Amino acid sequence: MNDEFARSEYCPLTTDHCPLISVNLSDLLQDVLSSTTGPLMGSFRPEVVISITILVILLQRTFLPAWKLGAFYLMLLGLGTAFYFVVPWHGTMEGMKSPPPFTGMLVADSFSVGLRTLLYLFTLLLIPFTQISGVPKREDAAEFYVLVLGALLGMSLMVAANHLIVVLVGMEMASLPCYVLAGWQRNRRFGSEAALKYAVFGAGAAGVMLFGMSLLAGALGSAHLPTMASKLIALFELFPQERSAVVATSGLLMLGGLMLFVGIGFKLAAFPFHFWAPDAFEGASAEVGAFISVASKIAALGLLVRLALAFSAVPDPGALEKLAPAREYLVILISTLAAITCTFGNLAAYGQTNMKRLLAYSTIAHAGYMMMAVAAAVAVAGNADRSGAEEAIASLVVYAGIYLFMNLAAFAGVAFLRNVLGSEDLHEYAGLVRRSPGFTVCMALVMFSLLGLPPLAGFTAKFAVFKALYETGKSPIHALLAIGVLNTVLSLFYYLRVVKVMVIDPEPADRTAPEIPLRSAAGGYFFLLASFMLLLFFFSGGVANWARRAVESLLM
Amino acid sequence: MDTLPLLLGTAWLLPLASFALILLFGSRMGKAGRGAGFVATAAIVAAFVLSATALTVWLSAHPIEAPAGHSSATADSAEHGAAAKENHAADTHASAGETTAAKKIIPPVAGDWYELGAFGTKRITIGYYIDALTIAMFFMVTMVASCIHIYSFGYMHEELSEVTDHQVTLASGQHLHRRGRFHRFYQYLSLFCFSMLGLVIAGNIAMVFVFWELVGICSYFLIGFYIERKSASNAANKAFIVNRVGDFGMIIGLMAVWTGMGTFSFGDYEMKDAQGRETMRPGIFSQARPAGNDFQLQAPDGMVKFAKRDEIAEIVQKSENAADAELQIEKRIDGWRKDGFGYGWLIVAGLGIFCGCVGKSAQFPLHVWLPDAMEGPTPVSALIHAATMVAAGVYLVGRFYPVFTPEVLMVIAYIGCITLFIAATMALVATDIKRVLAFSTVSQLGYMMLALGFGGWLAGIFHLFTHAFFKALLFLCSGSVIHATHTNEMPRMGGLLKKMPYTGITMLIGCLAIAGAGIPWIIGLSGYYSKDFIIAQGLVYQHANPLHGWLFYFSVAGAGMTSFYMFRLWYMTFLGTPRDKHVYDHAHESTPSMLVPLVILAVMSVISGWKVPFTNLELPALLTQAIPSGTEEGAVSNLTKFYIPAEHLSHESGVHFFATGIAFLMALLGFVLATAFYGTKRLDPNDARRTFATLYRIFIHKWYFDEAYQKIFVRPALAISGWIAWLDKNGLDWIADNSARLMGLCARLDDWFDRKFVDRLIDLVAAGTYRLGIRLKALQTGSLRQYVMLLAVGLAALFMIMNFYWNFAMSKM
Repeated sequence: MNDEFARSEYCPLTTDHCPLISVNLSDLLQDVLSSTTGPLMGSFRPEVVISITILVILLQRTFLPAWKLGAFYLMLLGLGTAFYFVVPWHGTMEGMKSPPPFTGMLVADSFSVGLRTLLYLFTLLLIPFTQISGVPKREDAAEFYVLVLGALLGMSLMVAANHLIVVLVGMEMASLPCYVLAGWQRNRRFGSEAALKYAVFGAGAAGVMLFGMSLLAGALGSAHLPTMASKLIALFELFPQERSAVVATSGLLMLGGLMLFVGIGFKLAAFPFHFWAPDAFEGASAEVGAFISVASKIAALGLLVRLALAFSAVPDPGALEKLAPAREYLVILISTLAAITCTFGNLAAYGQTNMKRLLAYSTIAHAGYMMMAVAAAVAVAGNADRSGAEEAIASLVVYAGIYLFMNLAAFAGVAFLRNVLGSEDLHEYAGLVRRSPGFTVCMALVMFSLLGLPPLAGFTAKFAVFKALYETGKSPIHALLAIGVLNTVLSLFYYLRVVKVMVIDPEPADRTAPEIPLRSAAGGYFFLLASFMLLLFFFSGGVANWARRAVESLLM
Repeated sequence: MDTLPLLLGTAWLLPLASFALILLFGSRMGKAGRGAGFVATAAIVAAFVLSATALTVWLSAHPIEAPAGHSSATADSAEHGAAAKENHAADTHASAGETTAAKKIIPPVAGDWYELGAFGTKRITIGYYIDALTIAMFFMVTMVASCIHIYSFGYMHEELSEVTDHQVTLASGQHLHRRGRFHRFYQYLSLFCFSMLGLVIAGNIAMVFVFWELVGICSYFLIGFYIERKSASNAANKAFIVNRVGDFGMIIGLMAVWTGMGTFSFGDYEMKDAQGRETMRPGIFSQARPAGNDFQLQAPDGMVKFAKRDEIAEIVQKSENAADAELQIEKRIDGWRKDGFGYGWLIVAGLGIFCGCVGKSAQFPLHVWLPDAMEGPTPVSALIHAATMVAAGVYLVGRFYPVFTPEVLMVIAYIGCITLFIAATMALVATDIKRVLAFSTVSQLGYMMLALGFGGWLAGIFHLFTHAFFKALLFLCSGSVIHATHTNEMPRMGGLLKKMPYTGITMLIGCLAIAGAGIPWIIGLSGYYSKDFIIAQGLVYQHANPLHGWLFYFSVAGAGMTSFYMFRLWYMTFLGTPRDKHVYDHAHESTPSMLVPLVILAVMSVISGWKVPFTNLELPALLTQAIPSGTEEGAVSNLTKFYIPAEHLSHESGVHFFATGIAFLMALLGFVLATAFYGTKRLDPNDARRTFATLYRIFIHKWYFDEAYQKIFVRPALAISGWIAWLDKNGLDWIADNSARLMGLCARLDDWFDRKFVDRLIDLVAAGTYRLGIRLKALQTGSLRQYVMLLAVGLAALFMIMNFYWNFAMSKM
């Protein structure tokens, strides 16, 4: 069936879509070289810097082992440079006009710049945190940082992917270091078990995804996302005449898409692909938990946006209409899973007594909220006016940017408390307010922000997404909005419980007095992060503007 | 000129910082809060240094030029000037045009620090408006305030320890014992300095109003400093309430300004228009006196439109589009203006603002609060109720001068004249040393208002400055006397010069200054110059408006009375034989911390009218720089036939010569009479009292103002409130009580319902949700095999769902 379709004259694979065909070899080489070296010096400079930093850290480890803090400083230097290169939107608009980088394997638009900025910013904030909290230990810091950087490289590829191969490579580059990081505390049995579960589950998900990719690429005859989209349009154009062929092929595509989604769902920890998350988070240290829960989620969301919009929004307005079935499919899939993920995450967090497990479910719920924004964007992607979809994606960027601070702060609080309490059990937090009032207040701020109460950043984030949902004006998305609001109510219980335990419950008699003054490095760092909860609320206009900037060339 | 806002802004905020510090830590500053005094004094002295720096910065940017001769254009008499006004077209340009050309217009430094709020094209800001007047006011206020801060160390030292207030008797028959409030005193002083400086630097009338109220509240706090004394708390209330009456008028003025001009800002300001471009918009002054109209007063567009709003609504209704209507209105607005529309609103605005000034500057008929305000500590009387706050009304009249129409100026002149006369008569007979000074203050403030109403901007404002120095001096001297004798009553004093030589001599200087002593036509103390300015302006005014000439005669009579009552005070206090042996024996000279400010202020009282040697620098010349553009040419009233003469006419040598003569003669007459009655005792005051028994009774009862107000306002108000209280207790309370009971019943019912039904429901839902959550937790078994299986099952289930949906969708297509 599939072969028949590919061989038929409807196959739209012509030179228009694939400029590399029917040119001579020297031109081809020229093309490849220019589309490779150009971006390396231009919009992909940060990734080059990261790669060099990895090498330098490894070399330092080998040749200058006496410099104990070397890895830390080199890491900061490298990341800072990369951050500097990515932040001022280097070559955003130019990147869109010049030939696609790496022969169209990647895109260099404002969205990739925006998300990479968030990723680098997050890692920049994470590194001092790991240094303060003491995981990793001095002697294995270099390996830890190299793994983080490697994952970061993969995530950068994910948010800039424009080709299924890059999707796969990026996902695996991002995942493999995370497996190792999850088992970082080698002497803890839980850690190794968590890493193993994470890796096996990840391998399964990757396998399914790869299978899905082969189905998609096979059915559409290409792995280049824009080409695939135009093929899909061509397929739908056949519809009334060649009904049975289209139905059969589209069933195949549907399965492929579903399987591809399994891979992303695994990275997002979306229901029902989330099972690894609570165990992995509980076993891994809080520092790693922060990295996996924020960076890898932002990258996965970026990838989801890329894939979803590739098949739902094309620049040509005439063709846009033809993609309506694809959009409908995506909306149903993403919004169903978003609703279930969100509700499940919030409900399952109820009974948790371990803070990291609780936060694991909390991150699952937050992934659900963010997926809702994607669903909203896809739902309005068919409109001639693109501002609706842009607003929805911008709200997602706002959410991601604020989520970054909130979740990092939550995990940092857990890590610092672990260092003084030796436990991550919620019961151990009882009566914390008496010994460390400042720290407790900051922790409460973070919890309230995660819950989404004004005047905290979490409210800004939730409000942005809910507003985007509302403004789609479509009833399924409005149903999704209702579910999101109800979920916020549900989440009240377990976030408030943390605060209640810290503030109201009596202090256990047998516990050593945990003290984290705000003047210590840990307290200061935590205070800084907690203050962002307020700052990002009061400067939410700036955040929104920045997010709008990040999506300005996404749909071009 | 960017340094000026910075300098003056810092000088303004320093006392606020001091206030905040003392508020928070005052009682812990040194022994019994002594440190608070140092903090406040340091702040105000620093503010003085900054103000002095600002003055030099200003002078280096706008040096004072040698005065140009007034000879050519102004050789004619005052009548000529007025006549020139009458046939405007003919030779106004010969006289007025020439003077404007001679006077270089110095633009003020105006701007905004912070925007409080914007309403469309209107906005309210915290801004500054700095011209020579602002600078001079800053210099004067900070200087007098510094002196008084230092003086208070000596005067208030009793507050450092436990105080026994002999004027308060408790129910137990004992005198009140209380903790000292030294830091509290300085805390209020700092707040006052901040408010006063804020009032002076304010860049818009709304900000003026805010600080206007702030100085009012400071005055309230400080009059009621000895709050346990019934008289003090009554006086504080009286001052506060009487001022509210004036402020009510001021709010009306503010509303007229806001409605008619669309801004509160004095100067022009930048603002973004609808297209986002920065455009200059005219402030109050530019709207009332546009440069395009040769700085002549005209009703602003907004007021004209407001007056013709019905017709405008008609035009808008008739025309097709907004632009067309705009054009038509634009075409007709000048005609309307010429017909006098909008001019009434200008008068309302001017009278309203002046109303506030009447309250604050204790003008008739709201002057009754100031004599009672003497219940406060004497340094407070000197600073707030003589030198600065009460002068704020005069300052505001001066500041708002460009907007006052000739009619408003006439009202100002009349009010000022009445005030000056009745207050002077009260001072003639009072025996409380501070009250004499208080009446004198009211009288002098009347002088300033009168001068401003005469069209003598410079004369009024100049007198404000000289008066600030010598009246502060006089009050501080009286404080020194009271401190030494523990009494305010002059009949119990006498012969104190021997005991307190420094106080006596400095007070004599103060008396000479206020009386306007000097060698006629050659040199004199500061009061000599400023009073001359006023008399000369009055002379010109009287020439131009014979009908209103009595204003001038009363002001001349007032000059004589001033001299009389001041020397009466001095003779009764310092000369003669001691009338109370006990008081005399216990009197002593004050400490140096009290004497040094006296000497400084005495020096300033002498020299503040003089020119700095070898320069052109003198106070009047500095103030001349701030004369509002357009007002120096005088004006003519359109409604009634009278003229505000141009001020330069009074500087003409002939007028001046004559005025100096009159002023000196009157001062001399007062001095001679006072000497005859109280110095050499050649005449007996009791004889005079018996001869003019009726007048004496009127004067000693302060013209029965308090009694009249008590009958007309206070008693009826109390009676009405009594009725309302009765009604409240017997009518409304019953309803309120019973409805509360009913509410309670409803609430109990509701509570029962809530518990039985609503809560149960919510509990059920919550419990269900919680159980679901716990059950979902069970899904997480920890078994890897199960996880991977669930992955596969999930995928399959999803596929089934999606496939079902897909087939369904396809079948419909």
